[in-house]
Amino acid sequence: MKKDIIGFWGYPEKNIISKIKSEYPFAKWIDLDIDYGYPDIKFLPENYCTIMKNIFNNSFFLKEKLIKILAPIGKDKCDSAYFASEILKKQGFDIIQTVFEDKCSDITKIKLPVSKSNLPLRKKVELITKNIYEQKDYSTLPQTKPSFGFWGVPPNDLSILELFPDDTHCYGWIRAVEAGYPGDFDIETYVDKDVPTIFFTQAFCSKTQLAKYLANKYEGLFVDIDTIPSNSSKAKIEAFLKLR
Amino acid sequence: MNKNLEKYYIDAGTTRTKILKITNNKKEYNIIPSSELKKLNILATKATGHSIVKTKQYENEVVALANGAKNYLLDDYVALDVGSRDIKWVKYQNKKFKDMDWNTACASATGATVEMLLKFYNVDLKDLKFTKEKYNITCGIFGLEKIMDDVSKGMEAKIAISKFIHGIAYNAFNFTKNPQKICLSGGFCENKCFIESLKQYCEVLPLGSFVLVDGLYGED
Repeated sequence: MKKDIIGFWGYPEKNIISKIKSEYPFAKWIDLDIDYGYPDIKFLPENYCTIMKNIFNNSFFLKEKLIKILAPIGKDKCDSAYFASEILKKQGFDIIQTVFEDKCSDITKIKLPVSKSNLPLRKKVELITKNIYEQKDYSTLPQTKPSFGFWGVPPNDLSILELFPDDTHCYGWIRAVEAGYPGDFDIETYVDKDVPTIFFTQAFCSKTQLAKYLANKYEGLFVDIDTIPSNSSKAKIEAFLKLR
Repeated sequence: MNKNLEKYYIDAGTTRTKILKITNNKKEYNIIPSSELKKLNILATKATGHSIVKTKQYENEVVALANGAKNYLLDDYVALDVGSRDIKWVKYQNKKFKDMDWNTACASATGATVEMLLKFYNVDLKDLKFTKEKYNITCGIFGLEKIMDDVSKGMEAKIAISKFIHGIAYNAFNFTKNPQKICLSGGFCENKCFIESLKQYCEVLPLGSFVLVDGLYGED
């Protein structure tokens, strides 16, 4: 089988993305964080971060087609990613470990045309993550004043984003990615204090402590969801959006 | 089919369905097992809850709770609803919404579990009495294990279940972020052991099982 896919997770360092793009101009890029419905190979413990499970399930399902995996292992991703990269290396994958911990010198000057746009929240998150490798210009998108905030990482089940109004702004890691500084703690933890915000985390993710801390600090709603949100999880978000 | 003059406000919970029927401004409250709701073929005017079948309009459970308990929320009570499979609460401050939460995952320490325990050990609800001791039931399954352990060592089942209920009350108090006053909604209002246990931590005002249907009606 012909190898024609570059896999990646998180936000690999920009120069490495450019280098691999020029080396493999016709390769298809696939974000291994996302659930594509491939079989669960039960490589990781049953109760574990769903995003990490996605990485393993996708990698093994696509193994014969994967040229390389770009594997962020720094503060721009998480500790689990480092272990994942080492384990996948031992399983025969061609892994390039990357660290993208650049700090922004002035976070008031970052450009966030998608996070603050009038697009539906799900579309915002999809565009931002796609733009890791597409690198398109969205600077002409109409901007909005936020009625709500969504803080966190892209959820495993993106359907929860459809509960939010279109003038919801993105915060957390999603915002840091759009800004081009996925490992910048100040950008990741920035919140507009007057904007009612939902602090989302994937269950068993180490960012849970950050989400809980920020939810308490800014009087937002802490929500952690495992694989698929229950009706109660969705209803909890709906109630917050209605009552605030 | 509904007669023209009748309106139905329905809170269809996991095990029990609470119904408020309005006929010519006359209110009639009823509770039926949720498994029977389908057979009644009622089209609700407005409804909430996991088990609803047919309704003209659906309302979120926490919103219905906030509307039904509004007078108490304005008086700085936290409104807490303990259901068969979940717990939810809402808080106001300075007459405005302030905070809320809804336990969305573990249902092993709520009403349905207590009902199952009573049936399993053949204990009557009225025989449960407040006990100072409680089980730590951060995980309800571990709590069940403790009941079984203690009963096998000779403890009366009604005492063990009371300790479990005290644990639920303590969890509810922590889950609501330790308020001074709680107004309680749901079937646990009939559970004196639970009320007594919760009173160890804060002031408790039981409002009964119809808070959510009153909230649905009040919105119209």
